[in-house]
Amino acid sequence: MSSTTGVPRPPSASGESFTASYRSSSANPGTGARLLAIGGGKGGVGKTFVTANLATALARMGKRVVVVDVDLEGANLHTTLGVQTPHRSLADFVSEREEDLGKLLIDTPLPNLRLIAATHGNLADAQPSHLRRVRLLRGLRQLDADVVLLDLGAGSHASVLDYFLVSDDGILVLQPEPTSVENAYTFLRAAFYRRMRLAMVGHGVRQLVTMAMDQRNERGIRTPLDLLREIEATDSAEARRFVETMRVFRPRIIVNGVRTAEDVKLGFAVSSVCKKYFGVEAEYIGYVNYDDEARQSVSARRPIVDLRQDADVSIYLQRIARKLLGLPSAQASAGASGAAPASAGAEAQLGGNR
Amino acid sequence: MRGIDELDHYELLEIGRSASATEIDRAYRNAQNIYQEGSLALYSVFDRLDTAAIRERLDEAYRVLADAELRAQYDEYLPSAGERSSARDPRPEVGMPQADPARVAPTTVDSLSGFDPAEQLDSVEQAVEEFDALEDGSGGEYDGVRLRRNRLFRGYEIDDIADVTKVNSSHIRNIEAENFGDLPADVYVRGFVTAYAQTIGLDPKIVVPSYMARVQESRNGQQRGRFLARR
Repeated sequence: MSSTTGVPRPPSASGESFTASYRSSSANPGTGARLLAIGGGKGGVGKTFVTANLATALARMGKRVVVVDVDLEGANLHTTLGVQTPHRSLADFVSEREEDLGKLLIDTPLPNLRLIAATHGNLADAQPSHLRRVRLLRGLRQLDADVVLLDLGAGSHASVLDYFLVSDDGILVLQPEPTSVENAYTFLRAAFYRRMRLAMVGHGVRQLVTMAMDQRNERGIRTPLDLLREIEATDSAEARRFVETMRVFRPRIIVNGVRTAEDVKLGFAVSSVCKKYFGVEAEYIGYVNYDDEARQSVSARRPIVDLRQDADVSIYLQRIARKLLGLPSAQASAGASGAAPASAGAEAQLGGNR
Repeated sequence: MRGIDELDHYELLEIGRSASATEIDRAYRNAQNIYQEGSLALYSVFDRLDTAAIRERLDEAYRVLADAELRAQYDEYLPSAGERSSARDPRPEVGMPQADPARVAPTTVDSLSGFDPAEQLDSVEQAVEEFDALEDGSGGEYDGVRLRRNRLFRGYEIDDIADVTKVNSSHIRNIEAENFGDLPADVYVRGFVTAYAQTIGLDPKIVVPSYMARVQESRNGQQRGRFLARR
């Protein structure tokens, strides 16, 4: 980890998260890749664009980067990176034809940057099963890389959310328009409740979380805070677990397609709303300006960061990449601030229960 | 986690207990901006009633904190930040940036990763200023790139300008791309650039002379080129 980001992992004794302990027991001690998931609910907000360019920027900074297209129903990351439709893909892992993710890696035209594509999926049954997903997530950490970026599909399906929850950093991309903002909140709400349900131990409390996910539930639970109040009334240990999980749930925000100073401010506003509505620290890590050139780079099948390093968009994207490297991962920083109990590891909980 | 009705005035405005009067003003202005009716960031999360309640709380918080006397009285009755968090909630105090490890930690790794703390998005004002600077970074001179940046920054498409100014969009493109050879005589270009600047809200008195100087320079250069070619 320290070789990845320059951030020394905080010393942690019993307060070590599952992901951290998993790393230290893996075949290459201390070399676990940092997992970044990029999602945002809505299609067309630039998730793939942001992923491809952040990956390129990180690779140019000398990091060994793997980008993974987990959008099995709308794979196109390979196209943005200028890779011809690959024959090997994540679909081989999903369908259990290949167990070793390392064998699915494909070189891209860019040094330091490799890809696992999502082409050739079985359209009849594109999404991996729950168990398969857990194995996939474990496999991704073992890839020989400094950073692994996951390009998530649209929507708020469990299969998308799990990548987001298990990653070291979950990044939400949104655009300054109501549809995108709405979908981002829907995504965050779904991720939040799913995370909380995984963290709860008791069946009854878990059912309470499930109930809260239905916005028209009979108990009138409207907000995460209402839910916490209900849980507090039932079981104080679960309530503590809820609060602790909330503390380590730290999505990051990128606003894409910025044209005005108002748009720049949107990230701060969303971050403030997350704090007041979810009680969640959602850090605004950057914005990317609107640019026609960026669109043209898609037709050129080359990331704009590579094609035109000095273009404004590239400057913004490179800043975000630098910032990502400078930041401790959400999980590491949560661990640094106090005792993150082992139960904080979404991965363990994901593997342990459904 | 505490509900909005349980946050103290400082937490509500997302400022520290020692915030200066200017910081309080600024935080309140930003909050007003975020929680105004129809604000994009609230869409689908807070309804009108919620928002009205939040605004009421913000107003009250500002009314107290902006008045030195009221603030002092308020502070006296306010439990200390540490007391409250240990009494009931293991979560760090909301709205206390200094308690946020994500912001503290990077300062220790500057030299290692080339991370520039100035790039942190710490405050709205700083980000907007930075954005303006980046969007408008070419000093005193208005070249095509700077015009284009200003246009995009202010949210205009080329067609919008063509509609308003009745200047052919291909001329506008050529102005931005500085294809001086494809532009008509200077007197026309001067008119186009004036209209362009007016439309997107720049001062033509500053923009036009600056841009025309570039046109002149290029045309002189070309003539010199032709002259040299003839020899």
